[in-house]
Amino acid sequence: MDRRSFLATAGAGGVAALAGCAGGDGTATEGDGTGTGSETGTQSQGTTTGTANGEMPELVVGTYGAFVDAPSTSPGPWLKQAFESEFDATLRYETPDSEVNYYIERALRNVDIPADLYVGLDVNMLIRIDENLDSGLFAPVDGLDRRDTVKESLEFDPRGRAVPYDTGYICIVYDETFGDGGFTAPETFDGLLRDQYAGDLLTQNPVSSATGKAFLLHTIKAKGEDGYLDYWGNLQENGVRVLEDWTASYTAYSNGEAPMVVSYSTDQVYANEEGENLAKHQLRFPNGQGYANPEGMAMFEGTDRPELARTFMDFVLRPEVQAEIAVRNVQYPATTTAELPESFAQYAQEPPEAVTFNYDTLRDNLSEWTSAWERQFVGN
Amino acid sequence: MSGPARGNGSSSGISVRRAVAALRRWGERRALTVVAAVTALVLGLLFYYPVGTVFVDAVYVGGEWTLGPLVDVLTDPFYRQIFRFTAYQALLSTAASVALGLPGAWVLSRFDFRGRETLRSLTILPFVMPSIMVAIGFVATFGRTGTLNRLLEALGLTEVTLLYSLPAIVVAHAFYNAPLVTRVTTAAWESVDASAVETARTLGASPRRAFRDVVLPQLLPAIAVGATLTFIFTFASFPIVLALGGVQLATVEVFIYSRVQNLAFAEAASLAVVETALSLGLTYAYLRYEARMSSSGRGARPQRRRPLWPASWTRRAAATRLAVAGYGAVVALVFVAPVASMLLESVTGPQGEFTLDHYLFLLERQRTGTSYQVRPLTAVRNSLVFGLGTLALALPMGVVTSVLTTRDFRGRKVLDALLMAPLTVSGIVVGLGMLRGLVFGTVVFGTRVQVTGALAVVAAHAVGAYPFVTRTVAPLLGGLDPRLVESARTLGASRVRALLDIELPLVAAGVVAGAAFAFAISIGEFDSTVILAEGSNSYTMPVAVQRYLGRRLGPATAMGCVLLVVTGLSFVVIERFGGRTGGRGGF
Repeated sequence: MDRRSFLATAGAGGVAALAGCAGGDGTATEGDGTGTGSETGTQSQGTTTGTANGEMPELVVGTYGAFVDAPSTSPGPWLKQAFESEFDATLRYETPDSEVNYYIERALRNVDIPADLYVGLDVNMLIRIDENLDSGLFAPVDGLDRRDTVKESLEFDPRGRAVPYDTGYICIVYDETFGDGGFTAPETFDGLLRDQYAGDLLTQNPVSSATGKAFLLHTIKAKGEDGYLDYWGNLQENGVRVLEDWTASYTAYSNGEAPMVVSYSTDQVYANEEGENLAKHQLRFPNGQGYANPEGMAMFEGTDRPELARTFMDFVLRPEVQAEIAVRNVQYPATTTAELPESFAQYAQEPPEAVTFNYDTLRDNLSEWTSAWERQFVGN
Repeated sequence: MSGPARGNGSSSGISVRRAVAALRRWGERRALTVVAAVTALVLGLLFYYPVGTVFVDAVYVGGEWTLGPLVDVLTDPFYRQIFRFTAYQALLSTAASVALGLPGAWVLSRFDFRGRETLRSLTILPFVMPSIMVAIGFVATFGRTGTLNRLLEALGLTEVTLLYSLPAIVVAHAFYNAPLVTRVTTAAWESVDASAVETARTLGASPRRAFRDVVLPQLLPAIAVGATLTFIFTFASFPIVLALGGVQLATVEVFIYSRVQNLAFAEAASLAVVETALSLGLTYAYLRYEARMSSSGRGARPQRRRPLWPASWTRRAAATRLAVAGYGAVVALVFVAPVASMLLESVTGPQGEFTLDHYLFLLERQRTGTSYQVRPLTAVRNSLVFGLGTLALALPMGVVTSVLTTRDFRGRKVLDALLMAPLTVSGIVVGLGMLRGLVFGTVVFGTRVQVTGALAVVAAHAVGAYPFVTRTVAPLLGGLDPRLVESARTLGASRVRALLDIELPLVAAGVVAGAAFAFAISIGEFDSTVILAEGSNSYTMPVAVQRYLGRRLGPATAMGCVLLVVTGLSFVVIERFGGRTGGRGGF
């Protein structure tokens, strides 16, 4: 099944690249492909010749568990198969439990990093890296053919290390069938404070959960730095419930514990695939906005396969690969050129307006904002 | 080992036999020392060293020694409030666990009924349940549309909102810890000598008086063990608090976790130091109490159990049985309903229909899973192998520690408390320490020494498990008549012989209970497993449950049910087999 969908989507390009590889006689040197905007085939040629005695080069990709091992669909296995069948390389996944922290820890302790790439970086992790390490951990990436197809609005690293490959829009998912039916979520943040919604919203800990953090940041966007704590005071009075993480809150939501949960705007894509009742997966973008939380990939500074890593990144940005990742990871693609299947376009919703804080603002304020929130919310 | 000495009577055979016998005698004499040394080594390497590396963060910041972070935490009113709340909820949880656990011990040790032993074995099952599964089961049982409310509705009563409140946390903690109270108390109750009770009765004591004067003093240390452990565990509780209470009711451990995630190590370590100091202090206080309480002169004949269905229904017999039935109903709601909810979830499809898809997913993953994915059977096998390995390591470690700490010497209680430390340090801190100290390795004489893989996982599990063996065995061992060992020693038995042949059979119930705990700790352990098994195929069942979590719960709950069935069967086997071999640590 995986194989067939791969052949259907990536057929022609793959053949050409394979031909390019087969034609290579191993004379090209490692540096050849850099920054010249050459074809993918040539780049992979450069890397295959990089290894001694014709051994297959191995690209080690660090990522989070769900990227390769979610029980539903995860893009990892497909990506590995598609990449390996086109390029003369093997792809090995590493899924450390503490995710990117694992690599920060290694760098802090001066232990070598075996991975070449990390997939699944977000702006918060990037800030954590920059706060804890003098080196950036990742190297700036240049020379990608498809770099400029990435949506400008999703770029989150001013130093050009992270290349966005997909994004989630965080919004409110609500259950129309809740109670006696006919439930609708309020259209604004202020609406959430109304009596009729008392105890109706579930969200996640903004200190440790990505969706929870996005929701907190969205309230800061809406209410301002000076107003968000008051707003949360009112939310708390109205019975908002903040749980550990997305899984815990979504479980409670699925069990009918509350009619609204902070989640992703791609919720219906999954619900549709699973044959669930879509009335239980309605979306609301508060104030007509969705908070964008793009995921990026980046190349470790110490990698000895920069060419292969670049080849991989370019591969990920291909229109058909972007579509496949979006569907399998249930996220939006990051490029303007992705060729999304109709079912995805039908059920995923992009917010009328996407909002997000940029790297600089977050680096200067994030820890202060969250800790002020924590002290107010937990102290009560 | 004794191969060459077998089979012929030649002179060389005799000398070899003599040599082997001498070796065995030497081994027997030194066995305690050897096991104690291994214990110290394993503890040092897999516990004190890694945890030490984390605690240093609290006092060594930016290349300088300082008390700053510790003082910051201690003087911050916000954190003081968090510590107060943490202690408060732990106190409530402990009271609830003891209240829920004691009747269980009474029923299990004083009544006879079909399946009693199986039920007794299964009391440990909640202990291995991954917390996310408990949370799922609790939401389904006590939630807005849960079993309890549907029951209340059917009875025409008003609905209750229990979730996201302190009572929800307390009940969930009781779910985890009441069985612990039940187990240690049952083990002690079964070790009560029937003749002492009979003597009291012959001397004219009423059954109530005999219980108060003879039985209760022997149960109190066990109840105190259960209560102390419960307090320590619930003090460091984290996933349950967040899943069922929410961030409003956060404990210290929640803050340690979030600080570690944000790499704010000095703050995390300071919080952990204070948390550990409090837990260790409590352990020390308990140990002093235990030393005062231990009574002597215990024999081997347990009291006779009453049939659950009495021969004649006197008013008294009926009242007793009514109490048992009432307790059964509470047990059904608190223990059976959440587990049943999880089972139900594992066979429920997206529209609420019956389906086996989630189990088919497990089969499919087993068949087609790749090297970087988690396969169910590998997880089952690893869990069992690690569990047995942990038993093999933790039982001797725990027994020897309990022998050492029931001897009299200066500073014994301090040593004992330090030996109990693995129970008091948070899993997050141990995990982080292992990551940095062992997984990344340390440079020794120019070479990087790393500790990972299956053996390290087993050793780490044993470190977490042996205090349970010690704490279930030591109070019983301390209560034995010292003359028993003395006479055996006078008759020429080595210390180990006396231990194996005299003492352990007398405290068999405690040893088997400890063994079950050791196995359960290994099965349920998560933090150090994921860290030490990194990148290898050493993942266990709880790790698999965690990995299968996603937008739909089915696969994770199906894996959770596999975990329950496999561990449930293992416990029954352990206790049946352990009971038969007389609890000699013969596994």
